[in-house]
Amino acid sequence: MFDPFHEVVTNVSKTIMQFEAELRRPVIGVMPAYFPMELIYAAGGYPVQLWGNNLALEKSDAYLQSYCCSVARSVLELELRDISKMVKAYAFTSLCDTLINLREIYRRLFSKPTLQLSIPITQTEEARQAYIKNVLKSVTTGLEEITGQQITQASLIEAATLYGHTRSLQRKLYNIRRQKPRLIKNHDFYTVLKVGFFLPAGAYNQMLETLLHNLEALSQPQDSRPKVLISGMVFDPIDTYKIFDELKIDIVDDDLANGWRTVSKENLQIENLVEGITQYLFNPAPCCCIYNPDNDRHTYLLNKVKQSGADGVLFWYIKFCEPDAFDRPQLMNRLKAEGIPAVFIDMELSLSNFEALKTRINAFCEILEGDT
Amino acid sequence: MTQLAAYKKMKELMTNYYIEAKTTREKPIAWVTSGAPVEFLYAMDVLPIYPENYAAMCAAGHQSIELLEAAEAAGFSQDLCAYARTDFGADITQGGPVAGLPPPNFLLCSTNICKTVIKWYEVIARKYNVPLFIVDTPFLHDGLTKELIDYTISQFKDLENFLAEFTGQPFDRERFFEVLSLSSEASGYWKKMLYLAKEMPSPFNSLDSFIHLGPIVTLRGTQECVDFYKSLYAEVAERAAKKIGSLPEEKYRALWDNLPIWFKMRRLEKFFEEKKCTLVVTTYANSWGGYSNIDNYQGKDIYEAIAASYLNVYINLGFEERINYLAQLIEEFSLTGFIMHSNRSCKPYSVGMYRLKEELSALTRKPGVVIEADQNDPRVYSDAQVETRLEAFIESMRPINN
Repeated sequence: MFDPFHEVVTNVSKTIMQFEAELRRPVIGVMPAYFPMELIYAAGGYPVQLWGNNLALEKSDAYLQSYCCSVARSVLELELRDISKMVKAYAFTSLCDTLINLREIYRRLFSKPTLQLSIPITQTEEARQAYIKNVLKSVTTGLEEITGQQITQASLIEAATLYGHTRSLQRKLYNIRRQKPRLIKNHDFYTVLKVGFFLPAGAYNQMLETLLHNLEALSQPQDSRPKVLISGMVFDPIDTYKIFDELKIDIVDDDLANGWRTVSKENLQIENLVEGITQYLFNPAPCCCIYNPDNDRHTYLLNKVKQSGADGVLFWYIKFCEPDAFDRPQLMNRLKAEGIPAVFIDMELSLSNFEALKTRINAFCEILEGDT
Repeated sequence: MTQLAAYKKMKELMTNYYIEAKTTREKPIAWVTSGAPVEFLYAMDVLPIYPENYAAMCAAGHQSIELLEAAEAAGFSQDLCAYARTDFGADITQGGPVAGLPPPNFLLCSTNICKTVIKWYEVIARKYNVPLFIVDTPFLHDGLTKELIDYTISQFKDLENFLAEFTGQPFDRERFFEVLSLSSEASGYWKKMLYLAKEMPSPFNSLDSFIHLGPIVTLRGTQECVDFYKSLYAEVAERAAKKIGSLPEEKYRALWDNLPIWFKMRRLEKFFEEKKCTLVVTTYANSWGGYSNIDNYQGKDIYEAIAASYLNVYINLGFEERINYLAQLIEEFSLTGFIMHSNRSCKPYSVGMYRLKEELSALTRKPGVVIEADQNDPRVYSDAQVETRLEAFIESMRPINN
């Protein structure tokens, strides 16, 4: 059932190039996080999300210090090694200091166009709206220049429908996981999500529909196992989920930037695009990288743990991510004060020896089993 | 350190400032970032307190390790900015030279120095349950635009409303303009003093400017600040006129990019003196000279001038502008090379530095070096590693008289 998804993840470049040839759309590399794919698709582009990889860092060390996150370093490695030669341009958001400067590095090193959706950090409502209006204008103009195509009302409707449907199907998958833990192996689940980074939405939606149809027929396994919720920015390295499967732990939900924080976003409203983009960026799930005091992360995460039935929270920390690391201590304290076990595990995307990680996950699992 | 009479005055000023901070009953206290528009606060008799300045004091006084460890024991990762960790530690233990900072009534944070401060101040806001006001000053990838100025002004106006509501008093615009004028005047003296380093030999060095930064960061907008920098400028100008150099002999003149390594000031000072290398100019100390531009608004809306000053901060600039600015400093200050501090604690300053170094060397034909260090965490610093790199760099420079 999951083989076609695994096949894509093991042949990413080949898959992208095939679709590029088929669709005749320029590939736009999308950096983390929350750049609406809809805008790229509506401009005639083929968005491909770059959330890092496990390449050995041979060339990027010449440009990025070891204290930069492995997402930035491994994405740069792709371009320096010419692995991402099919990517015609890059779309950034102003998510963090490293990504802001990474865009500048790309501008100095490469001739490929870059554009940025700068996310406002203000509670001044009028300023925020005016800012997003200007940023949106710059992004859409930039995209149109790259693709040579105009964004029209019709193309926006098509894109919003297509990508809105993707997230709606992904939400169904999350619901199945919440309601029937263990039905989908952890490794399979995140592989399905990862495929969405690379496939065009139309092809991906078809695969998701087939998968959901097949899953509906299956009944819930009966045995009870520890249930966890994971929180962090990036769910990779993908192979680490085999450890959860081996240890018979069910990830029942997540609070990940490239997981539920994105999947939970409703259809992009295009009638008032400025308002639509505002809603898209700031709602519904809070993120450590998005300043939005009206959407408190503590309350949100506590509710999410209760709703998902998770026995504990595992903070999945990709090293050197400051926004994530700043929020974590207070969040963990709050969870513990509410009687919810919480630990954090730090790693880099290039992790290859999983033994230490397995020991730590197992130790957490034992805490959970002791509690339940 | 260059023997300057002003040093004693500065110590007095800073001591008085911290005494007021620790004892005031009348003034509300705001914790603010070093790039925050503090003039709005002084206009409303709010006392600004700078956690960054306090963290630097802790490190310069060799007290940062225990504070860093206290923060880490509370769960804050070693990956985080060491200023933030030092302050978290000082807050937890009530440690450091003045036994912790007085608790804030509210927080004011500007993003022109980094995005890290948002997260840092969110942690404080949650701990003390106080309001956080952010003035967002977006990164200038492509220079200053009218839209960015309008965006910033709109937040300034909102800040005025916030302050009026918080203090229960209407925003005092007349007082605000007085404060702006004082701020601009002090920054003007600071900038004029820094530019005296164009003289050869340089009458002071950059380690002096780091040490004398305190008042321009913390007291900008007060008469005491103006008086202090006026006297510092006069003293340094006299040295310049008499051709009294900072070092006994000046063979090399270098730029320092990024924050200082606060816990190694004395050792590095000795090192550079032995090597006859004057650190002449720094992008960091220069940043507070930029506020002198507020006075040059000449007929324009003064809020535009304030917005431009707070947006146009060196580390808020795209790399094209940074390279041009660095090249200009190398030319104007007759430098023989440049040192870039790849600072683990400051990503906006440091990420991309390797590329900047390559381009700047190619553009100016001057040697440069990148050293790996940290502004506040001595545990990630190696004397041998840094000094070996600096020695090789100094040998690669052509002396000034050749």
